[in-house]
Amino acid sequence: MAISLLNPKAEVARAAQALAVNISAAKGIQEVMKTNLGPKGTMKMLVSGAGDIKITKDGNVLLHEMQIQHPTASLIARASTAQDDMTGDGTTSTVLLIGELLKQADIYIAEGLHPRLLTEGFDKAKGKALEVLEKIRIPIEINKECLLDVCRTSLRTKVHHKLADVLTEVCVEAILAVKPENNKPVDLHMIELMQMQHKTETDTSLVKGLVLDHGSRHPDMPKRLENCYILTCNVSLEYEKSEVNSGFFYKTAEERDKMVLAEREFIDQRVKKVLELKRKVCTGTNKTFVVINQKGIDPISLDQLAKEGIIALRRAKRRNMERLALACGGVAMNSFDDLTESCLGYAGVVYEHVLGENKFTFVENCKNPQSVTILMKGPNKHSLQQIKDAIRDGLRAINNAIEDKAVIPGAGAFEIAANKELLEWKDSVKGKTRLGVIAYAEALLVVPKTLAVNSGFDVQETIVKLQEESRTNPEPIGLDLTSGEAVNPKDAGIFDNYVVKKQIINSCSVIASNLLLVDEIMRAGMVSLKG
Amino acid sequence: MSSKEILTLQFGHYANFIGTHWWNIQELGFDYHSTQPSEIDHEVLFREGLNPKGQITFTPRLLLVDLKGSLKTLPEEGDLYGTNSAPSPSSVNWDENKVEFQEKQCEPKNDFQKDLNNANIEAIVVQNKQYNLEKNVQVWSDYLYSRFHPRTVNIVNEFKHCNEENPFESYTLGTSLWKSDFFNDEFTDKIRNYIEECDQLQGFHVLTDCTNGFSGLSSACLEHVRDEFDRKSVLVLPVIPSYFPDNDFKTPAEQVHSIMSDSARVINMLLSFNSYREHSNLFVPLCVSQDGWRQPGIPKQFYHTEYQYKLPYHSSAILAAALETITLKYRLKNSHFNLPDICADLSAHGRQIAAGSLCFPFSFNEDASFIDCLDQWEGPLYTSITPRVSIGNKRLMQHLVLRGVPESRLKRAGDKAGKQKDMAAYKCNTIREMLEFYLSCSTYATASNVTTMEKGVTVKNPFPDLFDKSIGINGNVTATQRLENTGVESIPVLAGVHSGNEIGEMIESLYDEARKLKIARFHQFAVERDEYEESLNDLLFLRDNYEDTYLV
Repeated sequence: MAISLLNPKAEVARAAQALAVNISAAKGIQEVMKTNLGPKGTMKMLVSGAGDIKITKDGNVLLHEMQIQHPTASLIARASTAQDDMTGDGTTSTVLLIGELLKQADIYIAEGLHPRLLTEGFDKAKGKALEVLEKIRIPIEINKECLLDVCRTSLRTKVHHKLADVLTEVCVEAILAVKPENNKPVDLHMIELMQMQHKTETDTSLVKGLVLDHGSRHPDMPKRLENCYILTCNVSLEYEKSEVNSGFFYKTAEERDKMVLAEREFIDQRVKKVLELKRKVCTGTNKTFVVINQKGIDPISLDQLAKEGIIALRRAKRRNMERLALACGGVAMNSFDDLTESCLGYAGVVYEHVLGENKFTFVENCKNPQSVTILMKGPNKHSLQQIKDAIRDGLRAINNAIEDKAVIPGAGAFEIAANKELLEWKDSVKGKTRLGVIAYAEALLVVPKTLAVNSGFDVQETIVKLQEESRTNPEPIGLDLTSGEAVNPKDAGIFDNYVVKKQIINSCSVIASNLLLVDEIMRAGMVSLKG
Repeated sequence: MSSKEILTLQFGHYANFIGTHWWNIQELGFDYHSTQPSEIDHEVLFREGLNPKGQITFTPRLLLVDLKGSLKTLPEEGDLYGTNSAPSPSSVNWDENKVEFQEKQCEPKNDFQKDLNNANIEAIVVQNKQYNLEKNVQVWSDYLYSRFHPRTVNIVNEFKHCNEENPFESYTLGTSLWKSDFFNDEFTDKIRNYIEECDQLQGFHVLTDCTNGFSGLSSACLEHVRDEFDRKSVLVLPVIPSYFPDNDFKTPAEQVHSIMSDSARVINMLLSFNSYREHSNLFVPLCVSQDGWRQPGIPKQFYHTEYQYKLPYHSSAILAAALETITLKYRLKNSHFNLPDICADLSAHGRQIAAGSLCFPFSFNEDASFIDCLDQWEGPLYTSITPRVSIGNKRLMQHLVLRGVPESRLKRAGDKAGKQKDMAAYKCNTIREMLEFYLSCSTYATASNVTTMEKGVTVKNPFPDLFDKSIGINGNVTATQRLENTGVESIPVLAGVHSGNEIGEMIESLYDEARKLKIARFHQFAVERDEYEESLNDLLFLRDNYEDTYLV
């Protein structure tokens, strides 16, 4: 009431009307996202007015593309984005589940049940669902097979299964390479993602070393070196005036250039130190020398280095300094004052690959690389972007499994099991809150239902079949998307992340409850709520 | 010696309007037929590349940022490196029955863009045809003549162009946008890729909106640049449009909205000016209107020129001509200046803000000499294009560039000189010498440096025809009126940057405006009161640097 006194133009939607706004928004966004779920969901190809293409199936990417205006829908979209930030997967499920919870609640509210009682039921059901989740989780040994399964399950929902299999192999290999031995957390930044626009998506591969997106800038530098010492540094080899002079100072350009040469001395000293070290460690052996610098190297310095047969790269990525040290060994140097052999890293081969105007430098055959590169290939920008999104999610899925040390059987198995347990347990819940539990149990089924729809099976038939099977079989039961029959996900190698499911259960229950409890929506801005 | 490269960064829609004109002017000025080598070193701002078809490309060394939906017909990647096949669902690697194809309606191109892309129409025709771009231009890509490298265009997906629901209106939205993956990762990589190519980078141009969220985005980017490329010079050019549509209100509610928007713009300027002060070497705020803040105010007048200040297409053209001219200082082949020098000259004693000036066009009678022109000139030579600054004539440090006045028009030869001989300036033998002499006579305790160039600013299509009929094709004032259908091809322009105590007054006026605002009322900023006060104080310190105890 107060707001209408203060601002008579404010629009207010109250009680049942407010709830209707929320529920219809949640249903709306659910409807849009529904077709994406699972490996048989639809791929979406979005083309902008100017012809820019985007291909995706990822819930989070789509939500960002949609430019949601409705406040309720954007709240749900934010929950989904948060899900992506936390776990990298389960974004579509989040939207579906929130929508379904509200849909189920709507039935009871229409019959006169107070939303507060429903939300209490939701809360209890959530606790129980988490218990079921604990029960159903499968502790795993961190080995390749297990991680392959988790990663494959996630990736097959995002890209074509042939590509998914290639990427799965690449992602798991990458993680295993950078994983520290003593159970320390994996730093995903130590996996460089590099894009190369040529060939096809399935040519994506893992490089056990680093790929840099630049090459040498001197025509006389070697294009390929073997048995290389790597000097990683963050030292400017570029002449810059120590003091900025006024432009009034010089009469002619020549005079200026003369000054420059005189002041170069300082930089030459630095280059000399590198050359001395190179001669010391390489002379008389078959070893070669590579300099990778985060700062600039000017043409004169490049020339001096080239004369010694050194490959020198300038303006390396800041993060690559750390990666190089992990991939090749050695230390990233911040000054050349005490250069010794122990500062240097080693790589079996360093070579340049030229692609049009772009150069790539491969640093490979490292001794014990703890930083690797996933080299993504694709014929155009949108396919590369799609791979990149997929790989990010794949890596996150593997990393989640490693951190959880457990997985959850996929293919809707958890939802079927939780539904069964909740329905059995509901009798112990007193009063009308029981209805909330029932609604919750029913809502969970949205995941297997949607999977069935997307794969072209009859929903009721499938769900009944699965529920039947799960009553008789103590093993987790999921849906085989090719046959429409019940299957044990463990046998089929379909595993989801524990943390993903946990996050979904937590956030969806909370957000659905919040939306249910809203009994007044007001808008004091200028744009109308309607439409 | 090879070129000293500059990387240009453009943030925001109005900045891109100016930028588009600027690149257009440069590319239209390329002379492919002349035997004379160009006076301008184009490689300072452009780069040579190679597209996948093996063709050589020459594109601006540029990164620009704009909001989603601001490109209209321009594809993000451009078409130079095109792999653009027609999109079809069958190209998707997925079960064909399971592909959903959503195509937005193809935006229709305007006649100018159609003709540009039509290989059958010669360039010369396009340059002379009337397109009525005043009516057709909605976004800057409508009159874009240059072609860009695929790296150049960057679109912010989080905010939509001209969206009232979720406007990109505050500094803090910009700074937090910088923290997103896209900017932190991809955008910084693109900067690095450009820099890695350069042998002798002299610095950066940052052309940015300073009245909306881009003020924050450019500030955060600037901080990154400072961090990563510590010794390179950065010239920031914050721009203020000469007209905001919300200032034309009809209802009281719209009026409130307009007042709030004006205030938000002042806060954006305050916060961004402080960070430009901290991280740039020099910055020159630009606006074709008098006041700049709270509201842009009355549009400035230029000789023989009529423009519609409400059209960004017009006002940005004027600023682009100024930038194109003043930056020649360090873009000419025979120039011994570079960007760090200019910045050092003008920002001594912590005076990091300088004022821009322009005489547009610098036209005089076609049969007159430069010496007569200066002799008969009334009032100041140039108009300030920095809001709230009127450039005085005492204790200045100034750099000027005059282009488009050939040396042959300096003065008449001895036997025909007549009255000219009696003028003191007759002893000067170059345009530069004479203009410097003129400036030294008309100012007090001022250091002026002049650079000149023969060729004027190219103002062919799609540059708007802003000139009155007495300006001829070559930019001179003629006795006979220019014909209806002929456009001006090039014009002489004088532009400059100046540092003097007048700028202190401008800072003070911004300080006064910003001080009146209660930051807590502007929730979109999420700035604490203490922080705001600190910003105000910092600005006051900057103002103190312009106190006139300092002598040249």
